[in-house]
Amino acid sequence: MINITIDGKKLTVEENTTILEAASENGIKIPNLCYDGRVETYGACGLCVVEAEGSAKLLRACSTKCSESMVINTKSDRVIRARKTALELLISDHDGDCKAPCSLECPANTDCQGYVGLIANGEYKQAVRLIKERIAFPSSIGRICPHPCEKKCRRKYVDEPVSIAALKGFVGDMDLASDDRYIPPVEPDTGKRVAVIGGGPGGLTAAFFLRRMGHGVTVFDMMEKMGGMLRYGIPEYRLPKSILDREIKQIEDLGVNFKNNVKIGRDISLDELKKDYDAVVVALGAWNSSKMRIAGEDCEGVIGGIDFLREVALGNRPEIGGRVAICGGGNTAMDACRTAVRLGAKEVRVLYRRTRDEMPAEDIEIKEAMEEGVDFCFLSSPCEIISENGKLKSVKIQKYELGEPDESGRRRPKAVDGSVEEVEFDTVIMAIGQYPELEGFEGLEISAKNTILADSGSFRTSADGVFAVGDVSNRGASIAIEAIGEAQKASVVIDRYLNGEDVKYKKPFYVERTLPDGYFDKFEKAVRAEMPVLPADERKNSFKEVALGISEETAVNEAMRCLECGCHDYYECKLIEYANEYDVKPQKFSGEKHFRNNEDKSSLIIRNADKCILCGLCVRVCEEREGVTALGLIGRGFDTIVNPELSLPLDLSSCTFCGACVDVCPTGALKEKQPIKKQLAVEEESRKSVCELCDKLCPIDIRYIGDTVTRIKPGDKNTLLCKKGKFDLTDKLNGAQK
Amino acid sequence: MKIVVGEGSCGIAAGAAKVYSAFEKLTEKYDGIDLGFTGCNGMCFLEPIVDIYDDNGDLTRLVKVSENDCEAIIKAVSENSLEDLEALKISKEDEEFLNKQTRIALRHCGLINPEDIDEYLACDGYKAVEKVLKTMTAQQVIEEIKVSGLAGRGGAGFPTWFKWNAARNSEGSEKYLICNADEGDPGAFMDRAVIESDPHSLIEGMLIGAYAIGAGEMVVYVRAEYPLAVKRLEKAIKQAEERGFLGENILSSGFSCKMRIKAGAGAFVCGEETALIESLEGNRGMPRLKPPFPAQEGYWHKPSNINNVETYANVAWIILNGGEKFAQMGTENSKGTKVFALTGKIKRGGLVEIPMGMTLREVIFDIGGGIRDSKKFKAVQMGGPSGGCIPESLLDTVIDYKALAQTGAIMGSGGMVVMDESTCMVGMAKFFLDFTTKESCGKCVHCRLGTKRMYEMLTRIVEGNGRPGDIELLEELCYSVKDGALCGLGQTAPNPVLTTLKYFRDEYEAHINNKKCPAGECSALIKYVIDSSKCVGCTKCAKNCPVNAISGKVKQPHAIDADKCIKCGKCRGNCNFSAVEVR
Repeated sequence: MINITIDGKKLTVEENTTILEAASENGIKIPNLCYDGRVETYGACGLCVVEAEGSAKLLRACSTKCSESMVINTKSDRVIRARKTALELLISDHDGDCKAPCSLECPANTDCQGYVGLIANGEYKQAVRLIKERIAFPSSIGRICPHPCEKKCRRKYVDEPVSIAALKGFVGDMDLASDDRYIPPVEPDTGKRVAVIGGGPGGLTAAFFLRRMGHGVTVFDMMEKMGGMLRYGIPEYRLPKSILDREIKQIEDLGVNFKNNVKIGRDISLDELKKDYDAVVVALGAWNSSKMRIAGEDCEGVIGGIDFLREVALGNRPEIGGRVAICGGGNTAMDACRTAVRLGAKEVRVLYRRTRDEMPAEDIEIKEAMEEGVDFCFLSSPCEIISENGKLKSVKIQKYELGEPDESGRRRPKAVDGSVEEVEFDTVIMAIGQYPELEGFEGLEISAKNTILADSGSFRTSADGVFAVGDVSNRGASIAIEAIGEAQKASVVIDRYLNGEDVKYKKPFYVERTLPDGYFDKFEKAVRAEMPVLPADERKNSFKEVALGISEETAVNEAMRCLECGCHDYYECKLIEYANEYDVKPQKFSGEKHFRNNEDKSSLIIRNADKCILCGLCVRVCEEREGVTALGLIGRGFDTIVNPELSLPLDLSSCTFCGACVDVCPTGALKEKQPIKKQLAVEEESRKSVCELCDKLCPIDIRYIGDTVTRIKPGDKNTLLCKKGKFDLTDKLNGAQK
Repeated sequence: MKIVVGEGSCGIAAGAAKVYSAFEKLTEKYDGIDLGFTGCNGMCFLEPIVDIYDDNGDLTRLVKVSENDCEAIIKAVSENSLEDLEALKISKEDEEFLNKQTRIALRHCGLINPEDIDEYLACDGYKAVEKVLKTMTAQQVIEEIKVSGLAGRGGAGFPTWFKWNAARNSEGSEKYLICNADEGDPGAFMDRAVIESDPHSLIEGMLIGAYAIGAGEMVVYVRAEYPLAVKRLEKAIKQAEERGFLGENILSSGFSCKMRIKAGAGAFVCGEETALIESLEGNRGMPRLKPPFPAQEGYWHKPSNINNVETYANVAWIILNGGEKFAQMGTENSKGTKVFALTGKIKRGGLVEIPMGMTLREVIFDIGGGIRDSKKFKAVQMGGPSGGCIPESLLDTVIDYKALAQTGAIMGSGGMVVMDESTCMVGMAKFFLDFTTKESCGKCVHCRLGTKRMYEMLTRIVEGNGRPGDIELLEELCYSVKDGALCGLGQTAPNPVLTTLKYFRDEYEAHINNKKCPAGECSALIKYVIDSSKCVGCTKCAKNCPVNAISGKVKQPHAIDADKCIKCGKCRGNCNFSAVEVR
């Protein structure tokens, strides 16, 4: 036995122990990418370097044996710098997408590829589980989200994006209708109490996640029912309240307290909440309609867009007459005009300053509004409201033309001189924006936009213990999923706050790639599933849901269209784990990057050279363990590549398909082909067992998700499997279940 | 009378083989004239060289001989009128090249016939082996080498006795002695010359080493790009076997040792000892982790000793003359002599062997004759891609492992590339990085990707796309690669960059900040302009311009169309009036 010191810790280790072994036996983590105890050491990655007193050089912990009285530092600046450089160099030639563009684009970072893949494999409950890691109301959001995910879906370069939102709605509905609904686990009570102000998408999301973390959560809302803008801003025909009710009930069922009809500043003060609770989340939303600031707009007959929608949602039928003008081009304007149609207005006209191309509303909303008979007047906007006896009479409409693009890239409308017409209307609905009502929150710092100022990473306001998310904070009103994303991230920060930690949300680093022209040529086209809708005639006269939902068959086929952009190894990739741990600057050493684009999915093992970091583990394990050289290193220097022998397909090489190469690969360069319909890139569950296909009884780690066994890994760090355990058993287990 | 043609690779490249066969035909007609050949005497700049020995053994050296000279030479020799050959005789000045050297490793080079063991035996060949086998124990041999202070001549300068001793003390009956003849530095040819010119001195030195460590098998790992060396060494091994110097029970001493050649496929990294062993074993040439060192676990994981050619070539001399005598030469830290391959913008390029302790200035100016074409000396690159450059201000540095290392360069295996004022130092660093990038085996991250990124940064700097901060980033990466690379190739790859940054930082800054190449070499940053006051309108530049970028009337100043110009520099080279300028 010899005595050594690692990071100030005095240890006694056996002779011939390497520094890496000594450290890991004593719980000291030293990063490594090319080391695996089952294979001879190699020393390529340079990540395990440490400093030892008396040695001028950095030592590779994987290969340096401990010697008596050695004093080792695994965390010195020099060590950290060396590791960081190694990682930055590796990242500079590592090509792939850690996460799919859809998921990265989603403000809540919902794992779209993950749940789409699960739907393709019929794992609906698992799909809901995955969605609920980010979104508390899949059915509702699936219906109303403008789905930024689909805008980034790369399937659009082949034909059209995957109908991600519709799939979310489908699987959400399926869960709501099921006897075996997914109920998220709740951690044991922490004894901490959180008050959430506002029961809209942001507030309920914060409540949902904080409750799941074991905190006591009470949601205060000024309205009669929870749901916020989802309930009072979105018309029934887009989101039936029965669906929303059921999803909100699920949140309540987790143990969240709901207190309705409570308004801060009126019924209770913020200070009282601060006193009574360990943290306060302000998620008021933005409930005031913006004014157009034109003459005469304060008369009777002129109403704000969301005010109008709220009235209708409350079950009132406001008198709007036969001629209704809606000002604005966003989704609220569309909701308002289509609601007006449903209230019986004969002549519904949308006035918009620019043209259809510039309209921020969803295309489908515009299309459906037009089908329902809404008249669109582009390049038109009211410049004056004419009233008689305080009641709306007519609107003076200024004509516009498009000028130079503004900073948003949209062409700026310019008034056309002298081109004004006067048109009579019974009601004018102003749907041009909304802002928060901040009464009762005077104690908090307010931004120039009249929103509550909150730190973008910690969501903290100017008052300790008070956090703000969603429309009420910073940039103001946006889409529901933005508020949901902020609330989910804030819940993690608040949880840490409640534990006395001061952390901020930081966007993780992901490797992302830009694909060249022609990349998508190889994919076969497949038509996107369109959401079936009620015929326009039928929907004009009722608030029945327009979207009819997609069938299971359609959903599965649609899910199969996913291109699986995100890496299947994301949850086990050591490279990305270290890259984030060491806070790499990925662009630091950017230069030529290999783009071989030759992913080979032809056999049991999927190979992707663009993700390979040349640790050599696969090559070594192949030779050392199986005694074959199915894989080898080819070429030199920067262009070195791992290829099957003689560059044959793996199936034609001497590969025994023991799968050891896959199990030692630190990145996604080598993966098992999952014996299922669609390859999954999700975090699986794990069950330890023993392979009984021969009398060796190797320990195994069965990876599964729902009822699907995805793959089998060795059960411990000393085991490597053979083809039977690695691949044959997966099929057997899946077969047994069916 | 004897005519001896210098037939090293350098001589043959200059036409020595043709000269030899011309002599062969002619000597048939003349009696009393022997024809022979020898290796390289180091004066590569004078090849083909023909040495004429009269019957007293006196030498007349003819240089730059062409096959057309042969008849006159034969005539002069047969008529004993060598004074007729005055025009071909080596000049007094060029003779200085050899006079200032001290030759131990090269002691027979250019003197004996490398393909004839008898010529080697005639100059005490294999006497050292005999002495060792008959009168010395292995420990005494190692002791003698220790006294000599001989250090590895491959570049690192590790004490030879120490390695031998370690291998000797390693447990195991099966041991190997390996010669590293994978000389890969651009511009280095010391080992090639020794094997081509005096292969038996290598065999003898290795035999002594094998006896010292207790090896029964010796392998010479020589690059396949050295076909003549391989051929002569093969012949030498065969002859040594026939004479009983190799094989079973050598000189009836009971010591047995066999020898073979392994031709390498030309990967630079196989000059790294553990990569060399991998290659010997039939694997991809990639370095192993050290420890274990080859002395503990080398070839086939048996204790092995590896030295390079020059190191072994000194051994027989040390045994015969004593370690003391060897140690009398040189400095406190560096004993004996060192062979250098002197190349670049130098007047007298070739192979030189000098005692340690001589200054760089003496080697470059006194032996090498200084810079060609009356240009100014700028720097000398020592140690090839693993080494660094040394500027004018440090020319009085003595040749000594420690003193050279202090400059940031290294002794190296002996490459000495001399650069003049027209060499861009950033371009020079890029040249070497290009080399190491291509020669990296790809195993470790710092070398595979670090050298590549360094090369890319240098490329953008010489192309005028350097960015502020590039110098600092480059420097940072250099130190990271030095720290993190697995083997010597990667650890030393940044040296050309670091030394040029140290001594010629202003050139980097000029490229990045002013988009100028001070040496006028980087084509992206220069333009060729004709000075109309100097141009006489001879039209020579216009006629020779490959892209017709030059126009002008006869006897009137010409002009270069910058848009068409491809910056090949031909106009400048062709102008007799120095009218073409680089700006």
